[in-house]
Amino acid sequence: MTWPIDAEKLCTERFGLELCETEGAGVDRTQLIELATALKNELEFGFFVYVVSVHYPAVEPIEADEEKGTEAAPGIPDRTVVHYRLRRLATDDRPTECFAFFTVVPTGESCPSVSSIWAGADWQEREQFDLVGTVFADHPDLRRIMMPEDWPGHPLRRDYAIDTQHFPWR
Amino acid sequence: MGVDQSNENFEHPLFDYMEKIPGADIGLTTADKVLSWGARNSLWVFPMATSCCGIEFMATACGRFDLDRIGTVARGTPRQCDVMVIAGTITVKMAPRVKKLWDMMPEPKWAIAMGSCAISGDFYRNIYSVVPGVDTFMPVDVYVPGCPPNPDHLFEGFKRLQDKIKAKRDGTWVEPEERPVTGMQMPSVPRYGSPDRDPAYDAAQLMCTQNMHPGGALLKEGVVLPQPAPPPEPPAEPADGGES
Repeated sequence: MTWPIDAEKLCTERFGLELCETEGAGVDRTQLIELATALKNELEFGFFVYVVSVHYPAVEPIEADEEKGTEAAPGIPDRTVVHYRLRRLATDDRPTECFAFFTVVPTGESCPSVSSIWAGADWQEREQFDLVGTVFADHPDLRRIMMPEDWPGHPLRRDYAIDTQHFPWR
Repeated sequence: MGVDQSNENFEHPLFDYMEKIPGADIGLTTADKVLSWGARNSLWVFPMATSCCGIEFMATACGRFDLDRIGTVARGTPRQCDVMVIAGTITVKMAPRVKKLWDMMPEPKWAIAMGSCAISGDFYRNIYSVVPGVDTFMPVDVYVPGCPPNPDHLFEGFKRLQDKIKAKRDGTWVEPEERPVTGMQMPSVPRYGSPDRDPAYDAAQLMCTQNMHPGGALLKEGVVLPQPAPPPEPPAEPADGGES
């Protein structure tokens, strides 16, 4: 997928980001609000398509072993990758185009909320908090939206046992 | 399923007046038949339609199959209904609402579990958020299997419910025997926390989650996937057999 030229220019020149072909720009959490505001106000990305969190469990570091022929690899902490996708609707000059960016949130820390920029992100961030457990800072009303209020845990995390006995029906 | 049902002990207030009239006891049986006939031919339905079985229920209520033929009218409020048709998957969050609506319905009332999801949870049975069968929290009179059932099947379920109401008022109702399950039982893997569960399943589950990581698909050493049991050896052929 090719991204819009002006959005690609904005990310690479002003923010110094690298663009992935499928997932868009990987942005640090501290720059997220700044990038989102620029995309909304300057490049007219007014349509918020989705925000999706994916949880990845921690990966332990491995040491080099000459006998087995394995190479050393650093460990990766337990984290959540938050993907955003935007769209701007067609005008006379250009067709409908989309753009994406993502950020990495280590478990235990929070991701800035974009619900003040796109109002449509409000409930979607609540859904991601409910199912994956990503905490969005400065969200106006961050509570569960799909699961019951007293539900333990976040079901779509990788470390969530699928058949855990939660209720007397089980 | 071990749920107490008080439907059959329903007493109509008409009986209080009939008992005061001398010699009217004979009329009670006739009145009982009339009440039973009226009850089973005016089953007003509360469609608890949560998913695709609700579409089949709508098809049953529409012109081609015409559920109105047996006096069944779908109503939008539980206060006016006799039968609740649970058509669809009931989640853990929905179950208290279904129970509340069921409690709102006036006696006498009956329930039909329509479709595999309402009966047992079907393939959502092992999912964290689905109730494995509505009979775990409310009484069910008729089960209509299917995924989803045809309108014909739902119609058959209504006919059987009518037969059941009639038999209960007549006193000829016989509780069906519980047959042993002969087919595949779910879950095929023992549940988490069960003493029958092989710890290798837990390790395999953890390994699968780490396998999904795109960066480093690291497998823990010493973890062996659970292997299926080897098939039994065929009986040895007799040494001098096979000649004809």
